[in-house]
Amino acid sequence: MTDEATIDASTPVTGQSRMDVAWGSESSDVATVAKPVAQTGQVFEQIYVPWQGELNPRWMRNWAIFRHHVLGIVRKGHRPWGVPTKLVLIFVLIASMTDVALTLLFAIVGEPGLYEAWGVGRNNLYGHILGFFPRNMLYYPLVAALLVGGVISEDRSNGTSALYFSRPINRFDYVGMKYLAVATIQAFIIIGTLFLYYFVDILAMGRGWAWMLDTMPLFLTAVFCAILLVVTYTSIGLALSSVSRGKFFPGIALLAVLLGTKTLAAIVEGLFDRSILYLISPYDSVAHVGQALLGTNVIYSHPWIWSLASVIAINAISLYVLSVRVSSMEVTRE
Amino acid sequence: MSKDLVIETNELTKSYGPHVALDRLSIQVEHGATGLLGPNGAGKSTFFKTILGLIQATSGEGKVLGHDIRTEGLDIRSKIGYMPEYDALDDNMDAIHQVRYSGELLGMNPVVAMSRAHTAMEYVGLGELRYRPISSFSTGMKQATKLACSIIHDPQLIIADEPSNGLDAESRQAMLTTLSNMVNSGNRSVLMASHLMDDVEQVCQNIVLLHKGKLAAQGRIEDLKAIDREIEIHVWGKSDELEQALGKEGLEVRREGRMFRIRHDGDHTTHRILKCAAETGAQIRRMHEYEASLEDLFIVIMERFGYGVKSSDDLLASPVEARKVDAPESMGGSGA
Repeated sequence: MTDEATIDASTPVTGQSRMDVAWGSESSDVATVAKPVAQTGQVFEQIYVPWQGELNPRWMRNWAIFRHHVLGIVRKGHRPWGVPTKLVLIFVLIASMTDVALTLLFAIVGEPGLYEAWGVGRNNLYGHILGFFPRNMLYYPLVAALLVGGVISEDRSNGTSALYFSRPINRFDYVGMKYLAVATIQAFIIIGTLFLYYFVDILAMGRGWAWMLDTMPLFLTAVFCAILLVVTYTSIGLALSSVSRGKFFPGIALLAVLLGTKTLAAIVEGLFDRSILYLISPYDSVAHVGQALLGTNVIYSHPWIWSLASVIAINAISLYVLSVRVSSMEVTRE
Repeated sequence: MSKDLVIETNELTKSYGPHVALDRLSIQVEHGATGLLGPNGAGKSTFFKTILGLIQATSGEGKVLGHDIRTEGLDIRSKIGYMPEYDALDDNMDAIHQVRYSGELLGMNPVVAMSRAHTAMEYVGLGELRYRPISSFSTGMKQATKLACSIIHDPQLIIADEPSNGLDAESRQAMLTTLSNMVNSGNRSVLMASHLMDDVEQVCQNIVLLHKGKLAAQGRIEDLKAIDREIEIHVWGKSDELEQALGKEGLEVRREGRMFRIRHDGDHTTHRILKCAAETGAQIRRMHEYEASLEDLFIVIMERFGYGVKSSDDLLASPVEARKVDAPESMGGSGA
């Protein structure tokens, strides 16, 4: 785009005109001088684009938090779980299905004796959820420790708590969705494989309605015990995560609480033949309740109702610590 | 609340036990860009938390975009964009996904949030870098990403806490330009807390000054600068006589060699200076109004006026009276 100036004989001679003529003169006495007015090139033009959309209500925000944590296990673009965590989850998922595989194998082979050892029954349902070795010694506490490690503590250390609390998200929703997400991942492994175990038995052995009606109460009780286990591990784990700024301490502390209390109680039982100290062990308290509800052999000498009270107390204390710590999280600085 | 006010508080007080963090703050923030200034411990962060509805005020009331800060915190946080001072990003995420997630946390559906995240990243100048992990970003890029997170839903008010903190000159300029564009082109409001007076002066038309939880001053920067208005003259010959004459005339003079700065004392100040020069025979080679910087203004208000200065109107109406009423006794005031 140009702005043209015409210069002829009547134009007063000024410095500007002389200069223009010098640069723009032709053979005639009328010269046309092009004056460029175009702006210098712009690599980046900043244009504000408004948005007229509507924001969805509370449930959508909560779903976003839940989805962010759960989908992060399998998809990029959500919460970045570490590779070791993902590998352990895959390993434990496969390892938790050993009883499923063996049930299927022996059902296909048609060996009743071996099938009885692995098929659905009171003891095997208990064992799938609350068996100590290897599930509650190696698998489930490790999964819980890896999951809870940085879920809240990293928001504290990264400052990402500001990302949540400067949005229309209250602290109950924040911690509730994180709790639900961690519990869901654990439940997928523990309860998901329990469902698989039960339904593989139905399909492989061609069970009928009578068998299902017969075993359904046991199965649902096992599901209840699994929920109790997941809730207890998650409550303790998130409480530890909320008092920390890293992910190492909560994980190690959870393992120490779960395995340390059991070891201590086992030593005391060995020395004094008293099982009462198992009340401080979250795993043993849940296991005791599970044994009583499922009707398997009870290995503790104190009443199971005490263990139930212990489970409730452990969860209550953990949730209290969690709520106090989350309510003190800052949006401006930590 | 009047139409142009985005934030309005009335006697807002927040106490933590015996410590009063906000002391009867009555602040009015108009549409446009406003700087929130104050030394450490002035109450800026507490003020932000209170107006975001994150903590309950001990007494007083306030409204942000027409919503009550005591009962409508969620509504307020839906309509504002908050850019925190410190790191608020997950280093292991890609920038685009981080911005998208911040939109989802506001209630945007994932597809819309992703679309807006692209727009916001383009706007802050990170369009080509949006798929890079945040851990690989410089401080300036992280600040820009935080800004993108705060503007993804096109908020009416952006609250930026130290937006140029830790930035080099180029990144700082880009950040300030972006905030200015938000106000000028986007017609949005910005409340910006900063320790850097130049930054505030570049972006904002208004300021709010806090000191120890109290309001030290508020109003248009241009108006407030009039508090510290001076006329600078360069004198040739008979400088001493001119200085004495100006003193007798009742003008307050600061002198350094041949350069005088005379406090502006009404419309006739220039005329009175010239009269004195004519009487003494001093030549005035140069005369111009000396414009105080915002930093000068900040120091003047904080150190000379002391506590209790209510607003620029109070100061401008009668600076002498304001000083008498508000300044501590040690500064020549009544200590009221």
